[in-house]
Amino acid sequence: MNWTLMWDSLPRLLAALPLTLQLVAMALAFGAVLAFATALLRLSGNRVAVALTSAYTFIFRGTPLLVQIFLIYYGLSQIDLIRDSVLWPVLSQPMWCAILALALNTGAYTSEILRGAIETVPQGQVEAARACGMSRVRLFRRIVLPMAIRQMLPAYGNEVILMVKASSLASTITMMEITGVARRMIAQTFAVFEIFIVAGILYLLINFVATRLIKHAEWRMTPYLRARA
Amino acid sequence: MDQHRIAIDPIASVDRDGPAHRHPPSNPAATVAVQADGIHKRFGSLEVLKGVSLTAREGDVVTLIGSSGSGKSTLLRCINMLEVPDEGRVTICGETIAMKTARGRTLPANSRQVDRIRTSLGMVFQSFNLWSHMTILENVIEAPVHVLGVPKGEAIDLARSLLDKVGILGKADCYPIQLSGGQQQRAAIARALAMQPKVMLFDEPTSALDPELVGEVLRVIRQLADEGRTMILVTHEMDFAREVSSKVVFLHQGRIEEEGAPDRVLTSPESDRVRQFLSRRLSAA
Repeated sequence: MNWTLMWDSLPRLLAALPLTLQLVAMALAFGAVLAFATALLRLSGNRVAVALTSAYTFIFRGTPLLVQIFLIYYGLSQIDLIRDSVLWPVLSQPMWCAILALALNTGAYTSEILRGAIETVPQGQVEAARACGMSRVRLFRRIVLPMAIRQMLPAYGNEVILMVKASSLASTITMMEITGVARRMIAQTFAVFEIFIVAGILYLLINFVATRLIKHAEWRMTPYLRARA
Repeated sequence: MDQHRIAIDPIASVDRDGPAHRHPPSNPAATVAVQADGIHKRFGSLEVLKGVSLTAREGDVVTLIGSSGSGKSTLLRCINMLEVPDEGRVTICGETIAMKTARGRTLPANSRQVDRIRTSLGMVFQSFNLWSHMTILENVIEAPVHVLGVPKGEAIDLARSLLDKVGILGKADCYPIQLSGGQQQRAAIARALAMQPKVMLFDEPTSALDPELVGEVLRVIRQLADEGRTMILVTHEMDFAREVSSKVVFLHQGRIEEEGAPDRVLTSPESDRVRQFLSRRLSAA
């Protein structure tokens, strides 16, 4: 094991950390909006909306993220309609393709997590709100959503961790995030073991902080569960 | 936490069996608060209500009794449209809830109207149904602030006085899970009262409670009856029904079998079914 090489690789890998964080943050942000809309449409009972959202979650949960990334980055550019559209300046950039693929992917998973959480809100508490004269929208905002978000946090924490790791796939479409930089350095030094270990440690650190943040949010948002003792 | 546990509960400390008293009979001159006409309700092929009519005048305490499955809870839930009747009309304080038929199903025509009418009907459930993510105080001020638009300070003052009235002011900042069943139900009663409803609906409010906690909840309900509140109550507590009601309605298989003054219906019923029901209750007790 070449310790000096590992130590020397650290600054360059650390420099790639912001890009990884940016990819993950953007994907999670867009994914959350997408998940929210999808879950609501899925629960709306409208047949067309249910069919469309079911198809979306089915496709994006059922196919590999790597395939989705390739399809978006290499596939979309084959279509003239897209190359000529206003979207092309965005879709021609690997950064946005990666974010789009990651967001669509996490959106599909998160919408199912959210839908499950909404369905666990006790029916009696929903009825109590209706009996007070709450409108559907207010009932959702004041009672259902706060309880659902608290309920889904542990599962969502898993999803965040998965996204951090999945962002490494962006390296396959030229993104120089942690894994991309690691692969380039390995091509120069042939130190596969050393450099991937350092990269792996960086992912571990990100996920350590991410789990802590989620745990803290969970703790902050569920005083009524802690109160049990 | 400890201080809450030790806090003396003024209601629980009073003897459960108060002095024998009777609620005054229904005043035929009082205005009608709740009127249900010809209510039918089916769940699939099962017809739970087969044309039931019910009138509660202001100041009435109407008690619905009957064996389980007789339709008494369903009837109560039809009054505030938690169950939508397949046929029949519900009129609250002179306003009839508009209904429509869509794709063969009967629905309220205007959800805004239903929401507005519900604000005048306080509902207390068998399983309390307090919002578990809110403190007791937050539970009580939630609907006044966010549905009626009462200023928060005002809502808190009212909530505190109501929590004091039901004897759990010391629990205002606790979460529902920290309270006993009896305390939760009293909090739920305070939550319903906070809307200053014209009518209170109670759906078996003591059926989910341990026997030793039943008394504290019944005492609160009796206090409300004594204040002259209009109430419709589904209960299995026959002694309580006798004392607190102005009218007792006995349901059997989706129909009203007998109704009248509590002493008459519960002491010398005309119907054999009521007699059987009461004797089974007595032998079980």
